[in-house]
Amino acid sequence: MDLTLDRVKGALRSPVTFSVVAGLVIGALFLVGTGADPFAAYGAVVTGSLGADGIGSTLTTGTSVLGMALALAIPLRAGLINLGGDGQLVLGGIAAAVTGLYSPLPAPLTVVLALLAGVVAGAAYAALAALCENRFGVPLLVSSLLLSYPATSLASYLVRYPLKEPGSSLPQTRRLPEGVALPVFGTSTVTAGLVLIVLAAAAYWFADRRTAVGYEIRMTGLNARFAAYAGVERRRLTLRLMATSGALAGLVGAIGVLSFPYRFLDGSLTAPGYTWTGLTAALLAAAAPLGTVVASFFFAVLQVGGLSMERTTEVPRELTQVLQAIVIVFLAARLRFPRLRRSRGKPQEPAAREPAAQGEPV
Amino acid sequence: MTRPPSDPSAAAVSGPGGAVSGPDGAVGGLPPAVELRGITKRFPGTLANDAVDLTVRRGEIHALMGENGAGKSTLMSVLYGMERPDAGSIRIDGAEVSFGSPGAAMAAGLGMVHQSFKLFDSLTVAENVVYRAEPRRFGLVDRAAARRRVRELGAEHGLVVDPDARVGDLPVGLRQRVEILKLLHRGARTLILDEPTAVLTPAEADALFAVLRSLTARGRTVILVTHKLREVLEGSDNVTVLRDGRVVARLRTARTSGAGIAAAMTGRAVELDRVHPAGTPGDVVLDVEGLGTAGVHDVRLSVRAGEIVGIAGVAGNGQSELVEALAGLRTVTAGRVALRGEDVTHASAAERRAKGLAYVPEDRHAVGTAPAASVADNLAMGHHRTSLSSRRGLLPPSAVRAHARDLVGRFGVKAATPEVPASALSGGNLQKLLIGRELAHGAPLLLVEQPTRGVDIGAIQAIHDELVAYRDAGHAVLLVSAELSEIRGLADRILVMYEGRVTAAYDRAEADEATLGLAMAGGAGTTTGAPAGAAPDGD
Repeated sequence: MDLTLDRVKGALRSPVTFSVVAGLVIGALFLVGTGADPFAAYGAVVTGSLGADGIGSTLTTGTSVLGMALALAIPLRAGLINLGGDGQLVLGGIAAAVTGLYSPLPAPLTVVLALLAGVVAGAAYAALAALCENRFGVPLLVSSLLLSYPATSLASYLVRYPLKEPGSSLPQTRRLPEGVALPVFGTSTVTAGLVLIVLAAAAYWFADRRTAVGYEIRMTGLNARFAAYAGVERRRLTLRLMATSGALAGLVGAIGVLSFPYRFLDGSLTAPGYTWTGLTAALLAAAAPLGTVVASFFFAVLQVGGLSMERTTEVPRELTQVLQAIVIVFLAARLRFPRLRRSRGKPQEPAAREPAAQGEPV
Repeated sequence: MTRPPSDPSAAAVSGPGGAVSGPDGAVGGLPPAVELRGITKRFPGTLANDAVDLTVRRGEIHALMGENGAGKSTLMSVLYGMERPDAGSIRIDGAEVSFGSPGAAMAAGLGMVHQSFKLFDSLTVAENVVYRAEPRRFGLVDRAAARRRVRELGAEHGLVVDPDARVGDLPVGLRQRVEILKLLHRGARTLILDEPTAVLTPAEADALFAVLRSLTARGRTVILVTHKLREVLEGSDNVTVLRDGRVVARLRTARTSGAGIAAAMTGRAVELDRVHPAGTPGDVVLDVEGLGTAGVHDVRLSVRAGEIVGIAGVAGNGQSELVEALAGLRTVTAGRVALRGEDVTHASAAERRAKGLAYVPEDRHAVGTAPAASVADNLAMGHHRTSLSSRRGLLPPSAVRAHARDLVGRFGVKAATPEVPASALSGGNLQKLLIGRELAHGAPLLLVEQPTRGVDIGAIQAIHDELVAYRDAGHAVLLVSAELSEIRGLADRILVMYEGRVTAAYDRAEADEATLGLAMAGGAGTTTGAPAGAAPDGD
């Protein structure tokens, strides 16, 4: 019992809680400054995203945000940053769309094949970024980011010319054939994609805590030289982590295409900014599995609730982006504090008096 | 060699306020340079300083000794304005002060040389020395004056450094001089040096003490924070010993002995510089022929089961590079490495470990551990794919914890729980963790670098005993150490590295300190033929 209490106390005192609360308070100050009622605005965010009308939308958005957050968290756990999420996402989407449109198989099998195609496309493209680092010494940050642009441009070209829906004025493919779609829960927009992503999160949690490879990933993230000294081969790990990351991003793309509006529409996967929201969520949670899930849900609530807040109050939805930004700024400040403290406090002999929290207290 | 802690020369004090021998208070009418009274500093869970009194006379070299965690660094942080004491007073030259920051302490004439230097590598010596106290001319930095100042200060104290040299290009010993010059330039009257010889060669350490002597002869005061007995005995005037946050002894150096100080530091009798019995060598485990890598040329050596081969040498003569190449962390450019008869010249670190190699690296924070990870996770490394994981690659947390509890117990690592981060351990405990983890592999070959650097006297003994027991169990050990006494106490054969080559090899009987010292300084002619370090026979 005591232990649980301690953990709750620890969670309350953690910098994540602090940043979120600080974000909400500063957001409230903005609201008051513009003459709006912060309680009404926040209330609108909550009812709009978690109420009966909004929850479906939140879960749909949450699927994509969590998927991308996982995609970025997995390499981040080893200290690698995949900035090419958009490219991998879009390639996954276009691969799924092409498979869905041209597969001769029956519809259910086509759905599975389309998901796999998305996964493979994303994984292969992310692996290319890893190879650029391993073989040619291009930093992953650079290779993954730069490879993203040709991928989105390629998809854009494909849906404007060869794959364009005849007669449409929009840069989009034809609608997928009848039945080539993910099963939907009831009348909502929530698809089986949510189940897939939640399973992926569970698999990540399990691998992180209970497998040898998860251990190697965590240790690489905490001290890459330590891991290398003990025989963890960094290049191989980079390649595998990036492929996994790209696979998840591709899966999110495929899920996006296999859900409403059941086609690839240029920009529809990248415009909502799932990649960046996902990266933010992964950073917020320091890539810890459960934390990533919670943070993703939080951002999905903000994103969906912000729209509803705009509708019911006079407050523009950009406020939720301001909130997101404030939370990140505070967290970034946390990332700095320990380092400053350590260099100044170095001569203290009872070293590290407050153990730095690593991951989540599971 | 052992002496009981009650040795009269140790003048042990039961606690603060107890009978105090040695100098105290004002001498010759002058107030002491530094006087700390009843300093108490509490951190959550620890009482780092418990009513500590410290009196440092003007013009003396005062050694502050104690094992890791005894409270030396906390006391100096309090003195230097980096920590606020919970109780107690500080007087500098008789005037009571209270420093809110190191800047205030500097203004009062204190100066500190930290263990890790705080210099700009890309700037010149002169630029570093005058930083934040630049001589100005027409509002601009007067570079000529800065260079002149460095030359003057250097000439006055025997601290000769080229003012135009880039600090990044200087060897460690000279960088330390730059740190001292920086303090002198700002007018520091009392210099605090934190473990100043940890990075120095014996000759550089001697030179440092000559400089410190010249400083005290000109009326400056030096506080030396250290745990090295020899230099305290040779270099200091008075010693204050801390243990568990309290002053346990105040000694006049001339009237004490190493054993006396060691006993005060540890609270028990300690045997210094023990020489362990020789091993009984068996088959060749490691065989190196003509090995070359960056900074290492044509190294030939072998290590047999049941023996410890020591590599002596001043730091930076290729020892680290050699060991990294042997561990598979550095590309071999020439020659051949065989581990138990198998060629592993181009094998990866993982392959070598699988074939029977364990390795205790020199830098335990940056390489040997992940300080932010838990003690349990640190102990699992290397075992996580073998004894701890199932065939499907699962790594049950319960197995990791059990393994950690086992090793913590076996090697006497003091950790509150296996879940605390490794950064919470003292240097000696972290090293025990690291050595325990590597010994637990039971690998036929163990590479050990600087096993007791920065480690307490008590822990040194335990570590040496572990290494000898490991050898006696029939394993081969290659030991690299900058401590001659360690090499001589442990090694069955001794190789000396100089400028990337093995320049001399001795059996333990023929290697006295003078011979080794000369060889380490490059004085050994290139030994040709088969030195004692070469393979006994074979190919």
